[in-house]
Amino acid sequence: MGSRSASRLVVCVTRRLLYGFTFFALFVCLATGQTQRAPGEILKEAASLHRARQFQQAIEDYRLFLEKYPDVPSVRSDLGAALAGAGRYEEAIAEYKRALQLKPLPQVRLNLALAYYKSAKLSLAVPELKKVREEMPGDLRPLMLEADCYLRLGENKKVIELLTPVHQTNGDGLAIAYMLGTALVRDGQAERGQVLIGRILKNGDSAEARLLLGTTKLMVNDFAGALVDLQKAVELNPNLPEAYAYYGTALLSTGDQAGAQEAFEHALRDDPNNFDANLRMGLLLRKDEKYDEALKYIRHSLEIRPGDVGVRYQMASIELSVGQVEQARAHLESLVAEAPNFTEAHVSLATAYYREKRKADGDRERAIVEKLNAEKQANEKGVKSTQ
Amino acid sequence: MNFSRRGFLRIGMALGAAKALPMRALVPQSSEEPLFREAASTSCGIEWVHENAMSDNRYLPETLGPGCAFLDFDNDGWMDIYLVNSGPCDFWTPAKPVRNALYKNNRDGTFTDVTEKAGVAGGTFGMGVAVGDYDNDGWPDIFVTSYGRCILYKNNRNGTFSDVTEKAGVATPGWTTSAVWFDFDNDGLLDLFVCSFVDYGAKQKLACGDNQIGTHYYCIPRVFRGTSSFLYHNNGDGTFSEVSKGTDIARATGKGLGVVATDINNDGRVDLFVANDTVQNLLFVNRGPDASGKTRWEEIALQAEVAFSDNGQPRSGMGVDAGDLDNDGWQDLFVANVDQEMFSLYHNNKNETFNDMAHLHGVAQATRLLSGWGLKYFDYDNDGAVDLILANGHPDDMIGRYSRQVRYKEPLLLFHQGPDGKLKNVSSEGGTAFEKSFAARGLAIGDYDNDGAIDVLIATNGGAPVLLKNNAAKGNNWLGLRLEGVTCNRDAIGTRILWRAGGKLRQRLKNNGGSYLSSHDLREVLGIGAAAQLDELEIHWPAPSKRVDKFTGVAPNRYIHIIEEKGIV
Repeated sequence: MGSRSASRLVVCVTRRLLYGFTFFALFVCLATGQTQRAPGEILKEAASLHRARQFQQAIEDYRLFLEKYPDVPSVRSDLGAALAGAGRYEEAIAEYKRALQLKPLPQVRLNLALAYYKSAKLSLAVPELKKVREEMPGDLRPLMLEADCYLRLGENKKVIELLTPVHQTNGDGLAIAYMLGTALVRDGQAERGQVLIGRILKNGDSAEARLLLGTTKLMVNDFAGALVDLQKAVELNPNLPEAYAYYGTALLSTGDQAGAQEAFEHALRDDPNNFDANLRMGLLLRKDEKYDEALKYIRHSLEIRPGDVGVRYQMASIELSVGQVEQARAHLESLVAEAPNFTEAHVSLATAYYREKRKADGDRERAIVEKLNAEKQANEKGVKSTQ
Repeated sequence: MNFSRRGFLRIGMALGAAKALPMRALVPQSSEEPLFREAASTSCGIEWVHENAMSDNRYLPETLGPGCAFLDFDNDGWMDIYLVNSGPCDFWTPAKPVRNALYKNNRDGTFTDVTEKAGVAGGTFGMGVAVGDYDNDGWPDIFVTSYGRCILYKNNRNGTFSDVTEKAGVATPGWTTSAVWFDFDNDGLLDLFVCSFVDYGAKQKLACGDNQIGTHYYCIPRVFRGTSSFLYHNNGDGTFSEVSKGTDIARATGKGLGVVATDINNDGRVDLFVANDTVQNLLFVNRGPDASGKTRWEEIALQAEVAFSDNGQPRSGMGVDAGDLDNDGWQDLFVANVDQEMFSLYHNNKNETFNDMAHLHGVAQATRLLSGWGLKYFDYDNDGAVDLILANGHPDDMIGRYSRQVRYKEPLLLFHQGPDGKLKNVSSEGGTAFEKSFAARGLAIGDYDNDGAIDVLIATNGGAPVLLKNNAAKGNNWLGLRLEGVTCNRDAIGTRILWRAGGKLRQRLKNNGGSYLSSHDLREVLGIGAAAQLDELEIHWPAPSKRVDKFTGVAPNRYIHIIEEKGIV
């Protein structure tokens, strides 16, 4: 429901802005009083095409108008919306930015944030959404979208921080409860999450509740239990964002790789920017040594979460597997500098050094691996005495 | 290889005239038969069943055994069988007596239990077995590993054995698993390497739980501390000295389950590859004596790329083996792991590094859902190319309740090497045993009916052993070798064998160990396919002599006995 709300929000915001700009277009059209492809008529036609989702022609008309009147912020924003509708997010972002330079309207900024969101540039969407929230206090839409960005970025604590006060004042909001519950569960705060799950369940069995329950079970390694809930979630609502990604994870955890792969493919058809589905697809393909295909997904995961250490490790590890030792080594050196306790990265870096005949460096990394493994063993828990 | 014809002419012996061992091959099976036929206990007389001591607490030792062995304990030329059982220990007192079993081969496809007479019943919580003639008297001795006290049974040459563990100084502490006899310092005496598993605690036993169904389950060994394995040097007087102190063997902490003694760099010194559970595998390379005369062991698994998965993670290594899969003269390695990890087939790059080729051979894909233990590279159809058998079973008896696809009992897998050098999964042609599922653990290979087709013995946890008679080699010719070292160790471990037949040159290193908890027929069967004879045969005995014996025109389909310095006898 969190991502679903965000998706609904995208549609809603887009429509609102579209109607606003259409009105403006008509006004300009009438004001100019021209009949033969006069700017006003061009704009009117553009708006009509835009509404009919004929984005390419709408874009052409908007651009025609802007050739003559380049500084009309609303039309430039409209052009951005049409470009976004056509999936041309980079161009849309450029148009929104120009529109904002002309007139910094919060709605346009929200559109810009949406374009970032849609193009998986979540970390760029966040600062824009923060500004929108300042400009539109009390409006839940930018808040929910920002929370969804954090959720997708794996920054669960920020979601909790953002939504906890809002949840306290909007206690009836199931969407907030769902998103907050998801963040709590993913952050390992299963008990607090369960309270929210309970609230959602009071409203009857739903895909959202099942997804949350399944996610909770996954977090505590109850894979069989998670599978039951997640299967039910996708049955109840096959379009529920992230449901298939988690269903795939549960299938994978219970040994059904083929089923998992199908689920991830489904998740990616619904949302090509789903981080987990991209990463797990990449890992599955990598396991089968289909490195080129794996890289496609893993690279996209990195686009969604730039800087993610785990994903960067996967990239470097594949480079090592396909013999790009120098490249892998450079990436791994940077990784271990950033994450000095990342054992697998040290293993791969040692391997890279050994392959480059840098035995002393390899031995140094090996010593680090041994030290980290010894520490890990010393901290191993989960055992209890029976006698 | 220096395999000159002149050398053959000079040294060669007309083997057509050589006396074959007086062995009678059993009647070949009809061609309709599958590759292997399961010998029923009712027909072969093996009624012994493994007692796994499974308790509500699910103590980990319960699920790791047992091992098994093919050995010719009475030197009559026929392979007998030894089976290891659980026994009394600090967490289990058997309600009724349990014991290991020694079955004598009756030479007609049946066996007779001679355990009590032989005095090899065990009495500890047994795990595995390693057979070797450590005193070079020509009679195989038995070393039994266990959770608790290990046992060394010295062969009294009269059908009985004596427990000489303490006297020999091999009463290894802790929890030992696989062991292997080999001569690491080439002094002609078999030394002993013993894998140590985990520190299972002194008084308080650990169990994991509660699981998803509210009961204890077998812990993943990650929760236990690793230990160092043991290396015993044979003093030549019936005693051994533990010599790992100060070497990488003592420094390397592992959770050893499988070991194979092989020579990974062709330097004539036997190395050790150890499969570890949940921690990195270990590859101990024998660097020979240092200035003080002590053997230097260098652990190189990480740089050799056999320590971790290619994702930098340790796997759950259990079974292990070495063999020259691609006949390039270099030993390739194999490790069986737990489900989802896939097994590893490491190709030797000839520079002390390896590449995992399990995907190329279809082994990775076939083993994704399996957990492997006993395994062996061997030429089951005597076409000359190395094939592979894998015995599987999940360690957690409740796995089926959590997993959609992984089961406790798992199928055996059989791979055949085709003319393209790739392994092909031929399990569906293997016979009824390959249609069943087992909680398989140990696996030993041996030709129990002396027909030249290598048979398979599989030990199952909490069940009866499975004896598979090989029907697959019918139509292909072979030569069986019983090698006897004189200056080198009597079992001739470390000997390199080269043979040419039908224009094809093949070679094999006589490794020892491999599989899991198990010990194999020490004889070598050389497959030559349709070739009418072995045109050339070379025996490169290991140090100290490093002697090379060469033979030409060797008639096939029989076992011959070759003694170092004496040739065929």
